[in-house]
Amino acid sequence: MNPNRSFFVPVDSPLHRLNPLTKLTFVFAMILPAFLSVPELAPILAIPVFLAAFIGRVQKPYLNLLLKLILPTITFMFVMQSVFLPGGETILFMLGPFDVTQEAMRSAFFTVTRIFVMVSSFALLLLTTHPSELMSDLTQRGLPGQFAYVIISTLQILPQMQAKAQTIIAAQRSRGLDTESTFLKRAGSLVPLVSPLVFGSLAEVEERAIAIEARGFTSKKTKTSLHEISDTSFDKGLRWILVILILASVALRIWLS
Amino acid sequence: MAFINLTNLTYKYPLTETPVLQNINLQINEGEFVAVVGPNGAGKSTLCYTLAGFVPHFFKGELTGSVEVAGASLLESTLDEWVLNVGLAFQNPFNQISGAKYSVFEEIAFGLENIGIPREEIKVRVEEAMVRTGIRELADRSPYSLSGGQQQRVALTSILVMKPKLLVLDEPTSQMDPIGTREVFGVIRKMAEEGMTVVLVEHKVEWIANFADRVVALKGGEILLEGKPNEVLTSELLSENGFGISRYTSAAREAQKRGLWKKKQLPVTLDEAVEGFKS
Amino acid sequence: MEVISQNAVYFVVVAAIMILLFAWAYFTKRIQKDFITMTWVLIPVAIAINLTIGQIVLLLKLPVYLDSIGTVLVGVICGPWAGALTGTLSNIIAGIILDPGWFPWFPVAAAIGATAGVMANLGFFKNWWKVVVTGFIIAIVATIVGTPISIAIFGGISASGSSIITAFLLETGRSLVSSVLTTNFISEPLDKIATSLLAFAIIDGLSARYLARFPRGENAAVEKGQKQTQLIIALVVVVLLILFGIFVLPMLTGG
Ligand SMILES: Nc1ncnc2c1ncn2[C@@H]1O[C@H](COP(=O)(O)OP(=O)(O)OP(=O)(O)O)[C@@H](O)[C@H]1O
Ligand SMILES: [Mg+2]
Repeated sequence: MNPNRSFFVPVDSPLHRLNPLTKLTFVFAMILPAFLSVPELAPILAIPVFLAAFIGRVQKPYLNLLLKLILPTITFMFVMQSVFLPGGETILFMLGPFDVTQEAMRSAFFTVTRIFVMVSSFALLLLTTHPSELMSDLTQRGLPGQFAYVIISTLQILPQMQAKAQTIIAAQRSRGLDTESTFLKRAGSLVPLVSPLVFGSLAEVEERAIAIEARGFTSKKTKTSLHEISDTSFDKGLRWILVILILASVALRIWLS
Repeated sequence: MAFINLTNLTYKYPLTETPVLQNINLQINEGEFVAVVGPNGAGKSTLCYTLAGFVPHFFKGELTGSVEVAGASLLESTLDEWVLNVGLAFQNPFNQISGAKYSVFEEIAFGLENIGIPREEIKVRVEEAMVRTGIRELADRSPYSLSGGQQQRVALTSILVMKPKLLVLDEPTSQMDPIGTREVFGVIRKMAEEGMTVVLVEHKVEWIANFADRVVALKGGEILLEGKPNEVLTSELLSENGFGISRYTSAAREAQKRGLWKKKQLPVTLDEAVEGFKS
Repeated sequence: MEVISQNAVYFVVVAAIMILLFAWAYFTKRIQKDFITMTWVLIPVAIAINLTIGQIVLLLKLPVYLDSIGTVLVGVICGPWAGALTGTLSNIIAGIILDPGWFPWFPVAAAIGATAGVMANLGFFKNWWKVVVTGFIIAIVATIVGTPISIAIFGGISASGSSIITAFLLETGRSLVSSVLTTNFISEPLDKIATSLLAFAIIDGLSARYLARFPRGENAAVEKGQKQTQLIIALVVVVLLILFGIFVLPMLTGG
């Protein structure tokens, strides 16, 4: 678990300087073709994501994420699916009672590469874009301000609640909480662990609502934004290109079928 | 006509039987600094919420009588219009952090963004307000990393920056040390002198005596007494009704009984006590 | 491949449904009444509750997820739309800070919040046995929404523990859709009933004064009744649901 609110790496790079919406479009320009276009495209799409990580100067944390978070999951999935997916003629080898076919392996391979593209391109966006920058930009483009409020507020509340949870767990451990004991005991310890967290945080809701409403949260005026987020003509051009690529990849799939 | 007009104000929270505010009549002039005192449960916070529009618009419940601020009637206004005129800061500073911002500077700008102030003006006003309340050096800190007293200053600044005509403060210095409290009272006094009307709930009566123009004593939802700070705060009625009173007042009252305090007026602050005992 | 065309259909259908629902939501007055400031402030807390309890449950190694208690809570006291939004954003946040692999599941989370809200509006969140029913309905909806995602995005077998069941069912000769559907039918009800009961316990512990601040606080007015009768009814309901699971489902999913 990452206690630091987000994956964001604060360095300066061409990718960091891109408009957040452009990066979001890039994410979709990877994901949509990976899932909607011909399956052979998915492995190829891993390349631009990989290159972008270098352009964004986040290759180290990116590779770290790949190794720790993404690779173990998709390797496991690949093995499970190769072994258990039914169908297929060309039996490669037997694993106990299960046959591993070439078709199942092929299908498993394309599924995991698609997931790889999805997860790693999102990770790239998060590594190079501060959440508040992304939300500011989207708000300025017309997303209701309340959404930005919810996202940012959650990102700030969550680490606090997790810290509180740590404290409570430590306190309960010293009173004999044992995460290795019998099922009933573990289930029974859930309530004393979570109720102080839950009721404490719910109690704050009313006053916080008053505080932000006193500061114009429900104002009907058009909100302004303290930070100006640059959106160059390069950004705009890039977004158009990406949109065209998405459409082209879908067209390719329709044309081939 | 007075700037604030409360006429026969009576209010009941929803799901309750007894009114929390009863038949309140109160006029406050523009630029006046009025302090409200009262024992626990007297209805001080409820009075603040009423002036700030949250009673009845947020809390619902049953309000009779009339509330007018700056010529507008509360029952005929909506809350989002009302808060443009009236700012509210209250006791618990942690719950007043919006949560939507990563730095103190942004946190203070939150209200101005919401009401559509242009970017350049926001920057100028936030800077100004922070200098005023002495938190300029906290600008880049996370609001969550501050001490309670610092958070209270941020809460106050976040409201001041919106330049309300009426400033309602419910125990805004409860987590500050005496030095911080003095500074903040100084800031509030100055705002009043510049024409902002201030209603402040406060337990620290010595500060009230030094800074406020008038004191309203609330008990059981009714106004028990109101008038000049020294007269109200030293009144026998207050000590009989369980209000918190200054230790200098009680000491001098005791001394008066033994003939050691000669003046007619009892003291509230240390300075007044020292001076009184000298003469 | 067959799976790929399912993907395309799935994306288009989900996108169309979401757009239609949100367009409708945008123009409906009742929904604006649900999204008062209290709702906007509750949602982040609810998401934090989802994810924190989810992690504690992992730590305790319980055979459930319990990562949508906050979503159900919002659905009940702020309405189905707010519940759906909470679920959606909960998955987005989990995707941001835990693992981007959470993103694709957001329609399931949204459906959980919306179903909780609809059931609560129908009066099914007022005592223990009704909450058990609600939990079961939520589980069915979660299964229906989750199965296509599981198949289209994750190929039907993901890295989660319940995939073992899917693998086993596949070996017995069932189709992929039937296997995944059955797996979800087996694993979801326990989790969603427990989730709903815990959300109910939270609501029971909140004051009427507090609940009244929320747009649909009246949904949570706990019915006073004989605790014992309620417990018995709850037990009967659970047994019936289990029987339903054993006998009816295999027929539905084509054995
Ligand atoms: N939301 C509410 N619903 C119902 N009753 C309430 C509510 N808030 C406060 N009360 C009750 O109204 C009365 C006055 O409360 P209020 O908070 O205004 O008093 P106070 O003078 O500010 O007290 P304190 O010195 O403790 O801050 C109390 O009896 C309290 O229990
Ligand atoms: Mg109070």
